[in-house]
Amino acid sequence: MELFGKNAMNCEQVEAIVLDLDRDDAADSLERAAAVAHVSHCPRCAALQESWQAAREELRALGEETLEARAPARVEMRLRQEFRMRHRTMVVRRAAVAAAWALAAAAILVGAIGSWNWLQTRRLDTTKQKMAAQNTLAAGSASRQGQTSETLSAALSGGDDSGEFTPLPGTTLEEAEESAVFHVRMQRSSLGALGLPVNEQRAGEWIQVDLLVGNDGLPQAVRLAQEEN
Amino acid sequence: MRRTAKGDEEAFALLYRRHQGGLYRFALRMTGSAWGAEEIVQDVFMTLIRAPKKYDPERGSVGALLFGIARNRVMKHLERVPREVPLEEKNEDGTGAGIILQDSFTPAMWMEKRERMHHVRAAVMDLPAEFREAVVMCELEEMSYEEAAQMTGCPIGTIRSRLHRGRALLLAKLEMLRDVPRRMKVAR
Repeated sequence: MELFGKNAMNCEQVEAIVLDLDRDDAADSLERAAAVAHVSHCPRCAALQESWQAAREELRALGEETLEARAPARVEMRLRQEFRMRHRTMVVRRAAVAAAWALAAAAILVGAIGSWNWLQTRRLDTTKQKMAAQNTLAAGSASRQGQTSETLSAALSGGDDSGEFTPLPGTTLEEAEESAVFHVRMQRSSLGALGLPVNEQRAGEWIQVDLLVGNDGLPQAVRLAQEEN
Repeated sequence: MRRTAKGDEEAFALLYRRHQGGLYRFALRMTGSAWGAEEIVQDVFMTLIRAPKKYDPERGSVGALLFGIARNRVMKHLERVPREVPLEEKNEDGTGAGIILQDSFTPAMWMEKRERMHHVRAAVMDLPAEFREAVVMCELEEMSYEEAAQMTGCPIGTIRSRLHRGRALLLAKLEMLRDVPRRMKVAR
């Protein structure tokens, strides 16, 4: 049905507006007025409006039926339990991560100290080996230069007071820290027992010597400290 | 929300109590099932517990975030359970929900109203999900078009069109159920 007039609407247009008539945010006032005018003259659209109002009432009643609906209390209980558990787990997890980091840091520290110690020991060993090699070399060169036992004896008997130890034949000097020096008073003939040749004419003389004794308790070198007589 | 993310249980409880009603009603009206609505509300807050950093204040309110999650869950629920048979919901104490029996109501009137409500509920539940959502939001929840558009992330025009088609379908169904097909042409 068509209505005549300036703002006249057809049924199709009214149909779209009539379902929205009681909403404030729907059609503008002019459209509403035109729709109302149409409805007042069109029995079909009036029936639609009436039908929609009845449906609207029923919808409202349905809305009111569930207006106070709330989730059961057990949902909140379950959620709170989950919340508590999750946050407790998070705290535990954070503590575990912190402990893991602390352990890792401790392991790194122990490792660093261990390797530093190992390096130090290795360096010391290398120094010892070098020293031993130098002593061997010194002994070797002494023998190459024809420095005989007599020379050693002469050095001892000659009152060489340079303060240097003379290595005994067949020995190498160990590091001073591991050796001990003994002041010994002995007859010159006793030098023979240390592998040194003895001048028979002066064999009965008493001499004061310093013996450098190694860790193994064996004399390694001798030095004439003070000659008596 | 910040306190909740830091593990404050009371703040979480407050947040839950503030939003659960609306979410539950929306889910209940969309699914027509109390257990479905309960599951959806639980799921929504579980998501919040598991990923509290999902909330970005710049992207909207907490309510909008929760509603968005609820909407997704409802759609998944409807996909999984395409057609719930709406049963009469029971309160926690086992009593029936629904119509409040007034003194002026005769048992016959009460029965009639109860039947009508059943029809309306069935008609709403029979609508396609998109139209049902528009009807639930704008007719049952009485949201404005703008609010509904914000909540669903759709343009207002889309909401209007969905609502119009939803209303037309609903009207046709109700008329059929009432056995008074005054305007069958409405449902197009």
